Amino acid sequence: MRAWLATLGVVAQIAFRNLFASRLKTIIVGGIIFFGGLLVVAGNSLLDSVVASMSRSVIGSVAGHIQVYNAKSKDTLEVMGRMMMGDPDLSQLDDFAKVRASLLKVENVKSVVPMGISGALVTSGNTIDLALEKLRNAVNARRDAKTDGERAQAELQVASEKGHVRQIVSVLQGDLKNAKAVLDERTIDPADGAAVNRAASDAFWQDFDKEPFEALEFLENRIASQAADADLLFLNYIGTDFQAFQKSFDRMKIVEGTMVPAGKRGFLFAKHVYEEQLKLKAARRLDQIKEGTENEGETIATDPDLKRMVRENVSQVREILLQLDAAKTVDFRAKLQRELASQETDVGKLLAAFFQTDDHNFRGRHDFFYKELAPSLELYRVRIGDVLTIKAFTRSGYVQSVNVPVYGTFEFQGLEKSTLAGALNLMDMVSFRELYGFMSGEKLAEIQALQKAAGAHDVSRENAEAELFGSKATDAPAAKAPRRIEATTTPGVAPVMHDLGESLGGKLQREEARSRVFPSDEVERGVVLNAAVILKNPKKIKETIVAIEAQGKQDGLTLKAIDWQAAAGLIGQFVNVIRIVLYVAILIIFLIALVIINNALVMATLERVKEIGTLRAIGAQRRFILAMLVVESIVVGFIFGGLGAGLGVLLVTVVGKIGIPAKSDVWFFFFSGPRLYPFIGTSNIVAAFAIVLLVSAFSSFYPAWIAMRVTPRQAMQEEE
Amino acid sequence: MKKQTLASLLAAFMLNLFPGPAPVRRAEAALSSAQMVELLKLVDDRQKNNGDWRAAAYLEQKEKDKVDTVYETEYFRRSSDQKFMILFTKPKSSAGQGYLRIDKNLWFYDPSVGKWERRTERERIGGTNSRRSDFDESRLADEYDPSDEGDDKLGAYTAQKLLLNGKPGQDLAFPVIRIWIDKDTKNVLKRQEYALSGRLLRTSYYPKWKKIYSPSKKGDTWYPEEIRFYDEVEKANQTLVLIKSVDPNPLPQNLFTKAWLESKSR
Repeated sequence: MRAWLATLGVVAQIAFRNLFASRLKTIIVGGIIFFGGLLVVAGNSLLDSVVASMSRSVIGSVAGHIQVYNAKSKDTLEVMGRMMMGDPDLSQLDDFAKVRASLLKVENVKSVVPMGISGALVTSGNTIDLALEKLRNAVNARRDAKTDGERAQAELQVASEKGHVRQIVSVLQGDLKNAKAVLDERTIDPADGAAVNRAASDAFWQDFDKEPFEALEFLENRIASQAADADLLFLNYIGTDFQAFQKSFDRMKIVEGTMVPAGKRGFLFAKHVYEEQLKLKAARRLDQIKEGTENEGETIATDPDLKRMVRENVSQVREILLQLDAAKTVDFRAKLQRELASQETDVGKLLAAFFQTDDHNFRGRHDFFYKELAPSLELYRVRIGDVLTIKAFTRSGYVQSVNVPVYGTFEFQGLEKSTLAGALNLMDMVSFRELYGFMSGEKLAEIQALQKAAGAHDVSRENAEAELFGSKATDAPAAKAPRRIEATTTPGVAPVMHDLGESLGGKLQREEARSRVFPSDEVERGVVLNAAVILKNPKKIKETIVAIEAQGKQDGLTLKAIDWQAAAGLIGQFVNVIRIVLYVAILIIFLIALVIINNALVMATLERVKEIGTLRAIGAQRRFILAMLVVESIVVGFIFGGLGAGLGVLLVTVVGKIGIPAKSDVWFFFFSGPRLYPFIGTSNIVAAFAIVLLVSAFSSFYPAWIAMRVTPRQAMQEEE
Repeated sequence: MKKQTLASLLAAFMLNLFPGPAPVRRAEAALSSAQMVELLKLVDDRQKNNGDWRAAAYLEQKEKDKVDTVYETEYFRRSSDQKFMILFTKPKSSAGQGYLRIDKNLWFYDPSVGKWERRTERERIGGTNSRRSDFDESRLADEYDPSDEGDDKLGAYTAQKLLLNGKPGQDLAFPVIRIWIDKDTKNVLKRQEYALSGRLLRTSYYPKWKKIYSPSKKGDTWYPEEIRFYDEVEKANQTLVLIKSVDPNPLPQNLFTKAWLESKSR
């Protein structure tokens, strides 16, 4: 043993000496190994930090550690964006209470949150439609008022809404005049002009209350149709149990409004969606210009985006004008004249001048807008406390609409700016189930009865012409029927028409449906599409997935469990792609390193034939020569790999203190906040050393083999 | 407006380049433009009621891997001002929903939320592949410019085939239509409806026609008892419309109003 150690000491001594003896070789080989070590440590640490941050974003915002859904589903569950358009085709989990009970039997499961993810188009009419809807509701409320107090309040509301509509009509009248000035008059329908003039007349408004519904129909059909198209809003939402959601995803916080109370219908907007899609566009652009100039160091003078926003604010003042009634118009005129020191009386022109901002006056105008003008405007298309109507084509094909009260907005701490984390809104489970439209047995029976009564039969596309037109129809009885008033044309089907005065669905309990408190049992025992599982020990995800699926089988449930990364869909795959790229880069670098080191060592060996021959002549065994060269390589690897890894550690530690700033909203999500603070994983240092030493040793085998074959005679011959 | 005209011309050009199956025989002499318009007017006139109209219709939508969607509806129309309304009566979950057309506005009402929404002529009625115009009086001569495509055989029938291009300024569910008109009866037997791009969207068959005496017209009004729509985009989807009962008598004056449709669910 002692002799072996002594030999190793000699070998190491020779190796160190050779490091300095052939400096060029050492620098080339060492440089490559240094860079490899640095890349393995820094690259992997950075990537691990991103994965850890992103997992916090995904787990903390919607997915939980594990997602569970029905194994019979055609598609896989993806909770954050899909490769394909539309909702994934998931089979339902019939009874959430059973699913939860089964999941809670698994030891590592801490909590379970019911879910369903879907989306729907929310259509609202144009600005005039919205104003007229309010007026119609007020007129309806006045008609249905039961007490004098209610009537008086409704009367006030009608008067206020009438004032607003009248103001909108006057804006429309101005638009028409402008259009006549710039367009060929023949392209403007004279009937439209006449309708606007009628709606703007005093006589029309004096007579409004005599036949309010007739007047409303006129305004809705002849005036509102002249306004530009309405905005469409597509909302993605998670149906869930709000209380369980908040408890399990503790980064969630309510920004405005309140949490939806237990058992109530309700909707919470993601703050990001609320700002981006529902805010008055002029106000949103002011926010963005402020963000750009104050937080991102941009200027209106140089940044094309900010310039565009200023231009749009100047040219799109109409959306503000349409919100003003007579009193607000006077108020705005006075305020703007004062602020701009202008004598202009046209509020549209005053607003355009006001929004003509530059780097010098922007901050003042921004503050003035929010202090003086915004309180008189509807800053958001849907306000907290409003009722949102969501319409969807259900899974069963029928149109289903629900009214859900908007309780507030929410965001996830640290992910405030992330579009990805802020894309999903929250809805109560009862409304979600109604919109998703699971087919009940009762409804299926009703449909089948209707089909049977209609006597319909299928005609396939392929046979349609032959079957439908194969022979000429004889004259049907109805063709020769006496001149009766009502014809029953399909044999066997009785006349189905109703008494026109008959109500169809009885008294619909809209208010009741909206305000009803659902017992927790009703929420719990219903259908869900998926469930988020929060674990006690997040490190045991794989084992828990196996345990969940096994427990499901035992309880007669077909549960499929996937980890957060799979549930995140495309986003989850993103990290895998980056990791593959990094590994390929490392592989290529070390392959190149292998070849270069090998060549350098071969060259060095050939230069040292004399020395090796001498060593062999004085009794060095081939084993000794092999060991000498391998150790030499390992020493190079150890020193330079160590230096590279060391620099990597230093780099990551320094960057870990400062943090890498998230440049865009996507990186906010990947960094789980405004900055990524990378950390060193011990495994990365160990991996770096292992790879470096392995490559060093491996690359020295061929040169060592050449060296082993050197004999003293060869060495002497070379000398000659 | 100009854009639509150009697009219509382009669509017509494309359809002329790829005219589909060759006609069985060319008409001995192609129809003149005036003759084609006359033919369309005749087709329209046979279906006109010149008064009020009420009918019950059964709608059935079949889609791949889905339970059928079925509705019982009633639809109402008034020739004088081209007002139109569809009221859904069954299934229970859809009862009280309805479409109302006044002037150029098509409204949809859902009583479960008490809201009116503005829709377009492209709206699929209740999610089926039928459009509002499928239930309305035929106004082909007013809405389209025809061009002759000769004669064609449809089973036992010989049909006059026309290509119709939407006139500018019309809000139409389909801007271009190919139509097969029975040479003997002048009933429409088949239609193929296209998008502006020239893409075939839907094929429709009208295998059964019935007539009823209309007091307002003081003559017979023809209506299709059965219409079958085959979706040409989602090939597995098809829609069946059965018109079951008709009543050509005058309707109450206040029928075509939002207030009336709302009152059905109050």
